[in-house]
Amino acid sequence: MASRRSFIKQSALATAGTMLLPNFLKAFEIRPDFIQDSGKVLVVIQLSGGNDGLNTIIPYQNDLYYQHRPTLAISKSNVLKASDSLGFHPSLTKLNELYDQGYLSVINNVGYPNPDRSHFRSMDIWHTASDATEYLTTGWVGRYLDASCKDCHVAHQAIEIDDTLSLALKGETIKGLGVKNPKKLYQILHNEFFQRVSKNIPTDSSNSELHYLYKTLAETTSSADYIYDKSKVYQSAVSYPNNEFAGQLKTVAELINSGIETKVYYVSLSGFDTHVRQQAVHERLLGIYAESVHAFISDLEKNNRFKDVMVMTFSEFGRRVAQNASNGTDHGTANNLFIMGKNLKQKGFINETPDLSKLDEGDLIHQIDFRSVYATVLNKWLGSNDEQILKKKFELLNFA
Amino acid sequence: MSLTVMVESLQYKHFCNRAAFGIPLSAVKNSFQPLAIMKEGVADKPIQVIEKPVRDYEGKPNEAEIKVALKKNKEAQIRLNTAWFNQLTDPQVVFREKMTFFWHDHFACRTRNAFLAQQQNNTLRKYALGKFGDLLMAVSKDPAMLQFLNNQQNRKDKPNENFAREVMELFTLGRGNYTESDIKNAARAFTGWAFNPLTGEYLFRSRQHDFDSKTFRGKTGNFSGEDIIQMILGDKQTAFFITHKICKFFAGEAIEKSEVDALAEKFFKSDYDINQLLINLYSSDWFYKNSGNRIKSPVELIAGVQVQTGGNFNNPFNIIFLQKTLGQVLFQPPNVGGWPAGKEWIDSSSLTFRMSLPTLLLRNAESSFQAKDDGDVNDATNTVAKPGQISYTVNWEKLAGSFRKNSADKTLEEVEGFLLVKPTTEENRKMIAAFAGEAKEDLEFLKKACIGFMSLPEYQLS
Repeated sequence: MASRRSFIKQSALATAGTMLLPNFLKAFEIRPDFIQDSGKVLVVIQLSGGNDGLNTIIPYQNDLYYQHRPTLAISKSNVLKASDSLGFHPSLTKLNELYDQGYLSVINNVGYPNPDRSHFRSMDIWHTASDATEYLTTGWVGRYLDASCKDCHVAHQAIEIDDTLSLALKGETIKGLGVKNPKKLYQILHNEFFQRVSKNIPTDSSNSELHYLYKTLAETTSSADYIYDKSKVYQSAVSYPNNEFAGQLKTVAELINSGIETKVYYVSLSGFDTHVRQQAVHERLLGIYAESVHAFISDLEKNNRFKDVMVMTFSEFGRRVAQNASNGTDHGTANNLFIMGKNLKQKGFINETPDLSKLDEGDLIHQIDFRSVYATVLNKWLGSNDEQILKKKFELLNFA
Repeated sequence: MSLTVMVESLQYKHFCNRAAFGIPLSAVKNSFQPLAIMKEGVADKPIQVIEKPVRDYEGKPNEAEIKVALKKNKEAQIRLNTAWFNQLTDPQVVFREKMTFFWHDHFACRTRNAFLAQQQNNTLRKYALGKFGDLLMAVSKDPAMLQFLNNQQNRKDKPNENFAREVMELFTLGRGNYTESDIKNAARAFTGWAFNPLTGEYLFRSRQHDFDSKTFRGKTGNFSGEDIIQMILGDKQTAFFITHKICKFFAGEAIEKSEVDALAEKFFKSDYDINQLLINLYSSDWFYKNSGNRIKSPVELIAGVQVQTGGNFNNPFNIIFLQKTLGQVLFQPPNVGGWPAGKEWIDSSSLTFRMSLPTLLLRNAESSFQAKDDGDVNDATNTVAKPGQISYTVNWEKLAGSFRKNSADKTLEEVEGFLLVKPTTEENRKMIAAFAGEAKEDLEFLKKACIGFMSLPEYQLS
């Protein structure tokens, strides 16, 4: 390495110069053809680990519930009663408020045929919207992007607030963008190296893998710039609880309120796998969930954007009806699912309560396929072709 | 022959990238002969980091015993993962390990029980380069697989078809080459195939087995599970299905159908000799025409960095963190269909992290990226995959010794040739030259050059 110094001089001269911009990059210069924009936004909240739906929305008049859960059941006096038969867990006062305002629909008994009780497989099924017997490599939100935005060249039409991207947001040709913190992503991508590499596109496009890598890099850089610029437009004035989940929702609110065109946001709250000593853990998580979502909706309300936003909360499965020997609950099947919106067409508890007298080996039997909920959101809220995206026709529900 | 000269053999480079995890630093003496090279790296080295089978307690455990058992099992999961990760690139076994890695994806399986996972992994390793028929039979009687595909619940009075379906759909014939009735009848033949949870050993429960007559793929008889597997192997379609999958894995997406079909014919005639199939593949000209068209999987990427830098992870949790953040944790395929492949690995987040990886490793930087917590309390990788300081050691003197030192230009050219499967653009090369040129001493120069080339999109390709 003796003659390095002279080499450095020589190369420094040669680095400058302009590169030809390939076609796919030119798309960034003008605003891309976007998904036909209805201005509607979907926010998906994933409760990871399997939320205990029965202790979330409580059938407080049902003796079987109390028999199955001698120490874990929420006593009748502590339930926040919402209807003749159902009420909220005491940590959910803020959710109860949203219910009272008519901003909440609870869909009971949501699941799918041949339920799988393993976390990863059941989550896989929810993400890909597959049957329990098939394996898909694309996610339902990703396929929505594929269907709605064939020639778009931006990654931020669907954003997951995280450092990694879930399968749900990966389509065949278009994938969403994972970003936990717009500023951080911007800084990572704005070191000189990333900036320059993203412009040094190989001219030989015969290697489709190489082309794809550079295309993804260019889109990422471009989207990161755009999101960071936009994220500075609006700073939330609403006070959020001090936890990571609330921070993610705050980021979503700031992006929505700043007028970015993202159609779908994806946020997760983890820790619901309550096999052991469930009470304290569940109480804390539900509190975090309800208070954060409430702050988020207030933030949107303040900016008159809640009317454009629908929030869907799901978990990969519910838990067994009977508690286990460790004051916890094991993996179950059907569960409740929450929809929030300003102008819901059906409010409150929109279907039957779980039937605790008719169980399948100790588990609830689903009545509504989760893909009916997806189909409804895709069709009625996002105005897209649900059948093409879900690869099958599912019955549409009436909440949207 | 020096490393440099070997790198200049594009065939050798391609072979190492695909058949193993990249060109090792150790210089190779002979000229490039795939068969000779392969022979030196196919030893069978079982992983034995978990001694005890399933549980420590007798009878029905209490809460405290369950807690201890779960904790031990979580520790065992981490031990097993890192033990295998470290073994993947061991030169004495690397070609067998790469094939084991292929079968680990082909026979995708998940089990909580780390002992059963280790046992299955050793079974895949043992037969990885043997006869596919032996491998298939062993996997079909493997406790982790029987558990994963619900064959413990497959009983005469209440058959469970999961195992029978996946054996045909994913492991041998491929979709569309059997009927629903074949699945039903095969499931009956596999009734009673079970295992003893206390010892982790295969067990045939004859009282649960359906000894009645079955009709499978047009033939009728009192078929056992073994008979079904033999009949599946008797169908040439199995040889075609497996050969195509192996060729796609090693040669990339753009494979010539006629060439692969010819290999499949030979594979069938050789009674499914896997080693011979690989030799035939590596001896063909077309195999060497497709370099640089395959996107490395996360494990291949991390293992590749380790091979090429000769470095070591000092903190096993870092290994788990990287696998998890990049989306491929050993022993945790997403489903029985196995991991994604090719472009499916790349999205904006994963590419950003992949391109930041060399700085993290070679500068021992602190990662600000976070892996996903999937919420499963019994999955040890959720707890240990926390971001933090990366501790990875490279012997830079040794690495520097592998390159000729006649000029900075030459060194850079060699580093590029060593790290990248194909040259990058002139612009990137000049940029990296300028970046490395800021260094005040040789080893720092080399480090910067390595970080530069390894951070390129080109480095994602093999």
